[in-house]
Amino acid sequence: MEAIKEAPIPAMDSLTSAMKNNIVPNQEYLLQGSVLDSAVEVLLHRLRGLCDNVDSGPETFHDHEMCFSIRSVTPQPLTLRVRRAIDYLDMPYQLRYIGQPELGDKSRPTILRNSIDVATTPTIVDFLTEMGFRMDFEYILRGYMFRKGRMKITVSKIFKMMVVGKPAPESVDPISQSYLVELSVLAPSNQDAIAEDMRVFAEQLKPLVHLEKVDYKRLTQPPL
Amino acid sequence: MGVTIIQQFPMKENRTGAQIIEFLTKRVNALGAKQCGTFLVDCETYASIPQLGAQRTLHVFHNSEQPASVFAILDNGTGKTVPVVADALFDLLLLKMSSVYTSKKSKVEIRGPRFELNDFVIKIGAININHNVKGIIVEAEYRPCVVFGLCWDMLREFLQGFLGSCVSNIPPHYFQNRMNDIFQPLDTIQQYLDHITIYRKATGILQQYNTNTT
Amino acid sequence: MELNPMQVALNTVRTLRLELMQLIIEIGEGVKDDGSQTESKDNRYMYSMNEMVGKLGLHMRDLEQVVGSLSSPPGAMLLYNTSFLTQESTSDRQALYTPLVSSHKWLDKVHKFSSNAVQILSQNSLKKSYYNSSSNKKKRQQSSLHNISPQAVDVLLTNIDRMFPEMSITITRPCASNVVLLVGLSRVLQAIISFKGVMIEWVIVKGFNEPINPNSLQQELWQESRYYVFRKITDHANAAMLHFSSPTLPDLSVRSFMTWLNSYLILFNSVCKSCGNRLLNAYPPTWRDLRSLDTYHYECKP
Repeated sequence: MEAIKEAPIPAMDSLTSAMKNNIVPNQEYLLQGSVLDSAVEVLLHRLRGLCDNVDSGPETFHDHEMCFSIRSVTPQPLTLRVRRAIDYLDMPYQLRYIGQPELGDKSRPTILRNSIDVATTPTIVDFLTEMGFRMDFEYILRGYMFRKGRMKITVSKIFKMMVVGKPAPESVDPISQSYLVELSVLAPSNQDAIAEDMRVFAEQLKPLVHLEKVDYKRLTQPPL
Repeated sequence: MGVTIIQQFPMKENRTGAQIIEFLTKRVNALGAKQCGTFLVDCETYASIPQLGAQRTLHVFHNSEQPASVFAILDNGTGKTVPVVADALFDLLLLKMSSVYTSKKSKVEIRGPRFELNDFVIKIGAININHNVKGIIVEAEYRPCVVFGLCWDMLREFLQGFLGSCVSNIPPHYFQNRMNDIFQPLDTIQQYLDHITIYRKATGILQQYNTNTT
Repeated sequence: MELNPMQVALNTVRTLRLELMQLIIEIGEGVKDDGSQTESKDNRYMYSMNEMVGKLGLHMRDLEQVVGSLSSPPGAMLLYNTSFLTQESTSDRQALYTPLVSSHKWLDKVHKFSSNAVQILSQNSLKKSYYNSSSNKKKRQQSSLHNISPQAVDVLLTNIDRMFPEMSITITRPCASNVVLLVGLSRVLQAIISFKGVMIEWVIVKGFNEPINPNSLQQELWQESRYYVFRKITDHANAAMLHFSSPTLPDLSVRSFMTWLNSYLILFNSVCKSCGNRLLNAYPPTWRDLRSLDTYHYECKP
């Protein structure tokens, strides 16, 4: 029968087959760096010249990010991030899982980490809270986004929120005197060729900014 | 997306789910409806681990009518429910949560033929809980209208036209506070959840109908 | 000699110019020496100059008199749409203005004749359709249908907007001065209505949840609804538009049409007057009685 042939496939089955065929973008290649406020203009200028969205100019963004975690029987808590655009209120919220970063050896040019990005409705904050998640911290990110092929480059400033849950401009405070620069690609597994492209691109931004594999473990260790 | 209402059709003595679907198919065909494929709504239920305190229940739905979305409804155990609509990758995220929310192993599937009649969409599905047929559910959608309160009387007349007296004259409980809201795909899912809950409570009663089904 | 004062004035200007020209030529040639006269040539020259200047002064006075008697011309004429003809860049179309004016004259004549004909015909009781004759109403002279100021149309439409609280009207003018109207009727339907002056030319009806780009209504006008019920109502709307169309009372026809459209507020929750049901062939009652606005299924209409 015709009808049986076009029967809908259960969503979990189609997701499993998508995972098997490596078409689900669940990995992030990442390089990070920072520039001082005084030098950011020069970097933006350079990026404008290098990136794809030249004619429209750099795209600005203004996001509010909340970090939630839940403790289970395992010692490692499960952490999820919720991000929302403050400047576009009708955009969906973004729920994100980020796995442990793998630094790899010297031959690997970028950090590789698991990443699952899901667009959701704004009820997600309430949803996670009721699920038993606790909000650990929140902050504001404001900056510019550039695009070069599949690569995404963000130059952003991080702000502390003085009042919980109030991202109003008068109640935020910059966390440092510098901008965070991130170069990332979200891709399905086994696409290591893109990491090489990123290394070449990072090379072109030197000496304005040094993008490198940041070892988080070393950051948390007390100085000797 | 129009207004959708969901209606149970009573099981009759000595008839299998497939036979009732066939019987109703003949009726809607007589109205002039054409079959356009089949549909599938599935629901997986998860429960929080005891370490989290009060038990919370999480229902995760997929609907073939909105194939790119996942609908999740959380019941926090004290009467508050929070719904979320997300991308298909939400399922992948759920796997990450498997240490805190475990599947209750009671998968519900509603599947059957899907018909179109002008602006109406009719779906006749057998509700399967753990691969046992528990009952028949009929979904009727009127696509041009977006407010339940505006077209409830018309939908009721439409359903009564081919289902007969099993259709109540009182609007479904779910809509009592939502008569004048714009209808969302989530409203369909909430109604499915209401019906699934009823069927789950009534386990065992309908066991006799499964003897003939495979 | 009953000449138009304007003509006289123009003639005087011409004479004045001629004489001034002669004077300048005379000056240019200077004192002529023909040798035949014994009189001092300087004197003769001076004499003729005097004469000419005297004449000039005389005619100048004439001109002032004539100009004084001229009435000031009426203010600038409003050209409405025809003013856009000046923006035409192709040379073979630049001469369009004259034929346009004459065709408007003809249209006005036809309009006058037809309104007379309507008056005469309305006395004849052999009517096949119930046409709302307006001969006994106060006769109002609508100047023309095709050349109405945009302000007048705006006033008419905003008045209609105020008449129906459930209706929201957005006026746009995507092409020159003709209005394309976007009408939202509560949460039931949307309509795009294209006008020519105050005459409705085309209507399309769509569902409340169908996306309409308000910036390209011209294109949206050709895109029919994805729902059967609104395609049917679009047909009814165009029929109703033709029915209500009245050359003598164009604003009444627009108002009647909008009143008719407003009756679709109860599209989904009304009962057919004839069969008593809500649905027939899976359609709600889509037809409206054009006078009483009673709801009927198309198949049940009286």
